[in-house]
Amino acid sequence: MAKIKRKGTSGQAKNYITRTQAVRKLQISLPDFRRLCIFKGIYPREPRNKKKASKTATPNTTFYYTKDIQYLLHEPLLNKFRDQKALAKKIARSLGRGEVSDAARLEKNHAPKLTLDHVIKERYPTFIDALRDLDDALSLLFLFATLPSDKHVPPKTIALCQRLCHEFQHYLIVTNSLRKSFLSIKGIYYQATIQGQDIMWLVPYRFVQRVNGDVDYRIMATFVDFYTTLLGFVNFRLYSTIGIRYPPKFDTRSDENGAELAAFTLEGRNVGEKPKAIESSKTQANGSNKEVSKEVQAKVDKVIKSAGLDQANDEQPMDTTEESTDAIDRFEPAAPEADTLPQPDMSGNEAGSLFAPFVFYISREAPKAPLEFILRSFGCKRIGWDVVLGDGAFTNDETDPRITHQIVDRPQLPAESLPAIPAANDSVQKVKPGTRIPGRTYVQPQWVWDCVNDGKLIRADLYGPGATLPPHLSPWVKPSRGGYDPRATLAEQEEEGEAEVAEEAEESDEEMEDEAAVEEKPVEESEEESVDGGMDVAGTDDDESEEDESDEVDEALEGMDEDAASESEDDDEAVRTRHQRELEAEAAGLPFTSNGAADEAAKKKGSKTKKLAAKKQKEEEELERQKMMMSRKKRKLLEKMMHSNKKQSEEAAKLRSKRRKIENGAEKK
Amino acid sequence: MDARKASKKRKAVTRDVEEEAGVFSGDELSAENLDGTLSDNANDLSDSEDDDSEIELIDDFSDEDGDEEEEEELDSDEIPSDVDEEPKKPAVKEWKPEEPNVRIVKDANGNERYLYDEIHPDDNSDYSDIEENANTIGDIPLSFYDQYPHIGYDINGKKIMRPAKGEALDALLDSIEIPKGWTGLTDPSTGKPLNLSQQELELLKKVQMNEIPGEGYDQYEPLVEYFTSQQEIMPLSAAPEPKRRFVPSKHEQKRVMKLVKAIRDGRIQPWKAPEDREEVDENLINFDLWADEQERPDHIMHVPAPKLPPPGYEESYHPPPEYIPDSKERKAWEQADPEDREKEFLPNDFGSLRKVPGYENFVQEKFERCLDLYLAPRVRRSKLNIDPESLLPKLPSPEELKPFPTTCATVFRGHKGRVRSLNVDPTGIWLATGGDDGTVRVWEILTGRQLWSAKLSDEDAVNVVRWRPGKDAVVLAAACGDDIFLSVPPIADPEIEKASFEVLDAGWGYAASNPTPNNPEEKKSAPPTWIRPSSTLADVGVCAVIPLRYVPKSISWHRRGDYFVSVCSGASTPASVAISIHTLSKHLTQFPFRRRLKGGGPPSNRPLPPLQANPLLVKILQPGARWISSFDIHPTSSSASGGDNIIIGSYDRRLLWHDLDLSPRPYKTLRYHRKAIRAVKFHPGGRYPLFADASDDGSLQIFHGSVTGDMLSNASIVPLKVLKGHKVTAELGILDIDWHPREAWLVSAGADGTCRLWM
Repeated sequence: MAKIKRKGTSGQAKNYITRTQAVRKLQISLPDFRRLCIFKGIYPREPRNKKKASKTATPNTTFYYTKDIQYLLHEPLLNKFRDQKALAKKIARSLGRGEVSDAARLEKNHAPKLTLDHVIKERYPTFIDALRDLDDALSLLFLFATLPSDKHVPPKTIALCQRLCHEFQHYLIVTNSLRKSFLSIKGIYYQATIQGQDIMWLVPYRFVQRVNGDVDYRIMATFVDFYTTLLGFVNFRLYSTIGIRYPPKFDTRSDENGAELAAFTLEGRNVGEKPKAIESSKTQANGSNKEVSKEVQAKVDKVIKSAGLDQANDEQPMDTTEESTDAIDRFEPAAPEADTLPQPDMSGNEAGSLFAPFVFYISREAPKAPLEFILRSFGCKRIGWDVVLGDGAFTNDETDPRITHQIVDRPQLPAESLPAIPAANDSVQKVKPGTRIPGRTYVQPQWVWDCVNDGKLIRADLYGPGATLPPHLSPWVKPSRGGYDPRATLAEQEEEGEAEVAEEAEESDEEMEDEAAVEEKPVEESEEESVDGGMDVAGTDDDESEEDESDEVDEALEGMDEDAASESEDDDEAVRTRHQRELEAEAAGLPFTSNGAADEAAKKKGSKTKKLAAKKQKEEEELERQKMMMSRKKRKLLEKMMHSNKKQSEEAAKLRSKRRKIENGAEKK
Repeated sequence: MDARKASKKRKAVTRDVEEEAGVFSGDELSAENLDGTLSDNANDLSDSEDDDSEIELIDDFSDEDGDEEEEEELDSDEIPSDVDEEPKKPAVKEWKPEEPNVRIVKDANGNERYLYDEIHPDDNSDYSDIEENANTIGDIPLSFYDQYPHIGYDINGKKIMRPAKGEALDALLDSIEIPKGWTGLTDPSTGKPLNLSQQELELLKKVQMNEIPGEGYDQYEPLVEYFTSQQEIMPLSAAPEPKRRFVPSKHEQKRVMKLVKAIRDGRIQPWKAPEDREEVDENLINFDLWADEQERPDHIMHVPAPKLPPPGYEESYHPPPEYIPDSKERKAWEQADPEDREKEFLPNDFGSLRKVPGYENFVQEKFERCLDLYLAPRVRRSKLNIDPESLLPKLPSPEELKPFPTTCATVFRGHKGRVRSLNVDPTGIWLATGGDDGTVRVWEILTGRQLWSAKLSDEDAVNVVRWRPGKDAVVLAAACGDDIFLSVPPIADPEIEKASFEVLDAGWGYAASNPTPNNPEEKKSAPPTWIRPSSTLADVGVCAVIPLRYVPKSISWHRRGDYFVSVCSGASTPASVAISIHTLSKHLTQFPFRRRLKGGGPPSNRPLPPLQANPLLVKILQPGARWISSFDIHPTSSSASGGDNIIIGSYDRRLLWHDLDLSPRPYKTLRYHRKAIRAVKFHPGGRYPLFADASDDGSLQIFHGSVTGDMLSNASIVPLKVLKGHKVTAELGILDIDWHPREAWLVSAGADGTCRLWM
């Protein structure tokens, strides 16, 4: 007889371990276990069958793999945690005895230092693996770089986050690896491609972050610990691959003056090489434009000319993009139904030359940090800004003639409403706000982002100060089948006959309304109305027709018909004309048949919709027929998928109808 | 002390007097004055007098500061508030306990009467703060006494008169200066103005200043040194000074020398302040972690954290206007619980970048992401990212499947009662029908015109009509009652008609030349002889009659047209005569089976492959249906191009497709009819891969059933069309169907007496 197998000795019961069991097995506290899991990247698992995995009936049990926990048993960090615990006891004891200095000494000298190097090497055996997992790290570190320091987040950590983020940004600037960026409600999304890996992160706008009570900073701090180490190693590797010394030179004084990116100076690793400093002309920063030599002026003029930057037209194609012949040609599908093959995005060279020939000036109100970063990483070398925005500008002088583009984000105000500038004693000339210096392009910040996402310079006149901007679209949304694409026109993506149906529905609504309105109108008013309508009508002399008899009526009717046809979109007008014709017919003693032509049209439309409905029904029948042939399992799967697709298409239809309404509204106006 | 006592005494006296006079005390107005005011009009009060008294009073206060002794006296008489008096009184009582509190008075009868003093509870008493002249009306509003001159009663039951009020008093009060201690409040217990004494004011002030209110407590008492810090002159111990105090210690010297030596050797360094270690250093990375990177494949069970999806259009700070939610959506979003919201934010259009506020849930969202990373169980879910269209079976499009019958083209009317059977002739021009009215009719298919009709029987119904295959002759076999009639309808051109007659007439002589054996026991089951029809029938074209003794329910011809088989499927039919084979050229009828077909049950109307030399049971199918109504064999069966496929219709509403190569069980079971299926039919000839079934629910269903040559792919069945048109009469719908031999046309015979052509 075979041996009786006992329950719970193999299979799922053995493979899974609850959290409490795991904590007991590791002999650490729950917070320490949490930290360990965060560092080691161990996450709970969902057993296929909870009943088999758990020995208790508690519903919300967290399960881990037994193997995972076993592997944690040999973790060196575990010993560190135990040391920490022991030290905490010692400190508590000496504090209890009142030996404060002793406690301080213990804390200072005996605190075990957690090094996460081995964990990172273990979790990311190759550099590419680390890059792949950089999304969350960057998002969190960029957030912490903007947070105020706290009990749980010491200022040292914040400074470290800032430094690491700036170093990373510098790498992107040097290699022109930034690809896309997007201004969202939440913050600014960036996407960079490093060694073929797409990395996307989100940077909050610079405001004080609101923190709810239920945010546990200890957990986030643990993540930050891990991510800072990770990003440090990544930065080192990135810098060393492009031959720049790591860490870059950091100028504390200029950082205190708000230089941010400009506080770093990148140096080559070779001894003889000249430092590859960012072009920050501190000497020029405070100088007036008198210092600008004629030579420089000529140079800038040439650059401007070569870029074809007149204020009137700056949508000329860039020379640089044309010159590059070894680049991949873009294949545009000639017919819409053909498949499109994916092509690689723009290369670093292209990105590096987008803003290269220009000199930007960032006005006081525009966000300097993201603009500087994005402009620099797309090739712009010379960026100036107002003194209040911090150190490190190419120029602080707004009147500098070398500036080709100025980024402004202020409304157009009438000149008299603006305050007069205080009499400036300095040598720096002040520009009255709202005035424009000829010879440069004024754009709103969105222009930069849209240029970057399109990969080319786009018309700047749409982005002028105070202008209503075109919508800012996410560069990551790929047009999907059945999805709504705001870039395409409405007609392109409408389903067959959707517009007609919608129009009809709208019209029927309107007609109802109109009828109601006509009924409501008192007689006296209607006469006035008719006169009004007649005045708008071209080529009809309705005054006569009103006074004269039936001879005129026909003429008037004809004119009306034309008129109605020409201005059919104008609904108010249509109502008036119809009403007027009614009156005229009444005067002439003819029975008024309400707009025979319109009736016909309506009939036509009705038939059209009917046809559509029939078609739809046919399609449905066809689908039913196909479904009949499937097995039940497959049919269910299909229905599930159809449901999600239907949801998407419904959403798209909703958006389309909204857009149709908006467009119609615009037309009417 | 004496002076005090005296004053106390005086006070006690005054008190008594006061009690008698009235309850008014403590005011600057003397009791007499008050009495006057109350009895007279309040206005009569002389201002000057009061003024004087007031001045006096103020003078008194100024004196009071200097002289404590005087204050006592003033207190008793003229200090404005009575409240002030009462804390003193107990103290006074304390000091003269020996004094009798009894006075002896003569009463009206001349007896002694003991008059006791008012009882004054001492300090410890709870009632200490109750005045003797307090108002005793209890907890009722004073307004109850508005109509009366008094405002209540004191503890002795005496009326407490209302204090002076009115314009004169106001004027008086205006004229006089506000006295010290005047609060403007009314004492609720007495209804009189509440005044505070200097002491009380000081007390309040102390409370306000957070000082200890009690008097005589000194916070800063001088320290009494119980244990003196002074060194005593005389030693406590008389022991002499030990010597070691004078002799330098050798041991210490040794230790010092050790230290000196260590310092000289440099083992002990002079103390230096510990320099601050650079904290940044430990965070600084100065080596390449991935210097010797080696790729390591992920563990199978490792599920990498999913990346956050990229933002959509609606997240833009300036999205297209159609993404902005209208007020209804906005409201719905706001009212929904945060967990139920589809998106965690509401799209908003800020117009320009400077107007974009900070996102308030940023930290929260990042925190939740952190939680997700380490707390959420990860499950690899294979997301079906396939087009649902691809799941649908690859059906040929309806255009490819065409032609198939879609509409009713012709209706053949003429039969009275049900049409039981129909058959399209091999040329595809005529349609023969037989019905309950005992007639056989021939119609032109396209036009629906009746060409020929023959009444075979008055009472029996025509069960089957079948054309003889082959185009050389037009011969129609019809089973009516117990007989099978063979006829040549006069519809074709004369040559063919002549040929047809020849075909039928050729056998007459043969039957005569071969007489039937006169075996008596075989007589009963002897095959019937063919006979000539009656003259009326002969006139319309009937050539021969085969009198079977049982009702044949089906007829089926051999494809060459020389033989046909008939089946009498009645339950009473003996097995040996149920199936009979008729030879046209010899006018011969045979019964090939002696026994019942193996498998039991009544012989069904299966047309066997006609005249197999040695009948063999090839296969038994297990359709699983209870009552099989009809079946048909796929035209390509037993040929090279396809396997053996059979469709079976059953009365239990099922249509079964059997692929004999696969299994004896059905390959597909289709249940699309709501009523019993009467007839199933493949399209003959295999030109169109169509088959149809007819049901009692009055509908026909057309299917596309294509059979491929290779064994790997199964037959694909596509439902094509449901044809409705026949009326259901007496729960019967369509009784028979037949396909046109060349076109994809279908003819159906309905219980409503019509036939229909579908094309």
